[in-house]
Amino acid sequence: MTGGAVLVVGLGSPDRGDDAVGGEVARAVAALAPPDVEVVEHEDPTDLIELFSGRSLVVVVDAVRSGTATGTVRVLETGVGGEPLPETAWAGTGRAGTHAFGVAAAVELARALRRLPPRVVLVGVEAAAFDYGAPLTPEVAAAMPDAVDAVLCATGRGGLPTDGRMGTDVSR
Amino acid sequence: MSHKLTDGGQVMHVGTLSRVEGEGAMHIEYRDGVVTDVQLRIYEPPRFYEAFLRGRSFTEPPDITARICGICPVAYQMSSCWAIEDACRIEVTEEIRLMRRLLYCGEWIESHALHIFLLHAPDFLGYDGAIEMAADHPQVVERGLRMKKAGNDLMDTVGGRSVHPVNVRVGGFYRMPTRLELRALRSRLERARDEAIETVRLVAGFDFPDMEQPYEYLSLRAEQGYPIESGSVVTSSGGAFAVRDFTKHIQEFHVAHSNALHARLDGSPDPYVVGPLARYSLNSDRLSPVARDAAREAGLGPMCRNPFRSIIVRAVELVEAYTEALRIIDAWTDSASPSVPVPPRAGEGFGASEAPRGTLFHRYVLDDAGIIRDAQIVPPTSQNQPSVEADLRTMVEAWSDLDDHALLHRCEQAIRNYDPCISCATHFLDLTVDRT
Repeated sequence: MTGGAVLVVGLGSPDRGDDAVGGEVARAVAALAPPDVEVVEHEDPTDLIELFSGRSLVVVVDAVRSGTATGTVRVLETGVGGEPLPETAWAGTGRAGTHAFGVAAAVELARALRRLPPRVVLVGVEAAAFDYGAPLTPEVAAAMPDAVDAVLCATGRGGLPTDGRMGTDVSR
Repeated sequence: MSHKLTDGGQVMHVGTLSRVEGEGAMHIEYRDGVVTDVQLRIYEPPRFYEAFLRGRSFTEPPDITARICGICPVAYQMSSCWAIEDACRIEVTEEIRLMRRLLYCGEWIESHALHIFLLHAPDFLGYDGAIEMAADHPQVVERGLRMKKAGNDLMDTVGGRSVHPVNVRVGGFYRMPTRLELRALRSRLERARDEAIETVRLVAGFDFPDMEQPYEYLSLRAEQGYPIESGSVVTSSGGAFAVRDFTKHIQEFHVAHSNALHARLDGSPDPYVVGPLARYSLNSDRLSPVARDAAREAGLGPMCRNPFRSIIVRAVELVEAYTEALRIIDAWTDSASPSVPVPPRAGEGFGASEAPRGTLFHRYVLDDAGIIRDAQIVPPTSQNQPSVEADLRTMVEAWSDLDDHALLHRCEQAIRNYDPCISCATHFLDLTVDRT
């Protein structure tokens, strides 16, 4: 880890269907983002607490299931001064869970420990299927450019969120 | 009436992000103080991987099966390596075994520290979860994260990555870490070992419901030391058999309510248990002096049959893992070859190791070109399913005076006693209790 101020984290398992979208977006962002934006892939959300250390901005991209149309890109922003993520966030991320410790739980644990960066942006891609070995569903694959754009936009390093085009596609 | 609790991490509600790791459910039916039905329904990925492995090369299982679980990839790598090397009639060197043990210590540390501090301790301290606990006890959570980080660092150094190590191959490693690289971990591991001793004291002071499991315990037992990366099988009724006889003693069978297989020991209708309690109860004499002292100070006898006290046993195993890691690092010289050649050979091979949650068994059948013709994986959480159900049956009846909310919480706690693996075998989507 180089410890740059801006970090992008792609979360999820590469082998679990749409759960791979976090890593896929991260790889696309890595190819487009300027060198001062560090991009990593992780599978364990509890790693986030450590990854937050010393950053001014962390963008986390992951699969989400919130009941909206598959492929919908959602952006949620918080940070040291921000509102805690809503109570419903935990329902799916292990607040009373048997084992899981999800993204939202990791963010709120970091807040409780006063380890949250000034800005944290969560970019979620609405997912449909999590079968072992399955590829991304077509809607999720089609949402990749929007998700990449949302991440780049959050980093302030490009992105054209209004029309969803790839941020660095300067030819258009 | 019916009361439903949703938890898990695989389904997110409005506007939040989620890890999605399979699905499962716990259903309990309860009538007039008597439990009429307990069903643990789980989704079990190893079945997919067994099919996926057929037709692949014998060199691939360590990488492929490591992906079954983000929490215990090393367990899958080690059990698969042992099994394939057994099929090829190859024995690795003592240095390779030690390096495997060291890598495995990293996994135990990551897994046990996560479970003790972020998942299990809040139950005992009266919090809904680690977030609420962190507000009042930030130093306890910080300690847990620091202890887990020492495991991440060990995995990074030996395995090349802190999740899904890339340095493991059939026959050993691609590269041995150097003595210098290992020594750099020393101070962090020493501090973490001391914090683990403190952790044993902390968790030993929790209140534990009275409960004794009558079940058979099953674990590996090694020629020397506490069982981690290898050993042969022993049971609490005095049974002992080689890993290659595992399938002669353990029969897997289908149950209607779950797509995962259940397991049975020597045809007994009663459950058997793998994991920290079994491991400790069958091997407490093999702990290092420092871990043994910590266990004694915590009031653990040579056996522990209260599943709620598994949090103490995990803390003792953390002391053991740090101590063992330090012992291996201190004795390490840079003279060892990273691997031995493993030429393919037609045959059947068996391998087992002690995953953080218990004995993980692999079996492979290879043809003479090293192509996998059959694969079998028996993960610890499937072996423990019948005992989880039996525990719940006992507890729900014993706690029939509790209100629904408290009862559900106790049930969840009872399930958490087993630290059921996110991906290996189970993930609880819904927990329902029907009382009529």
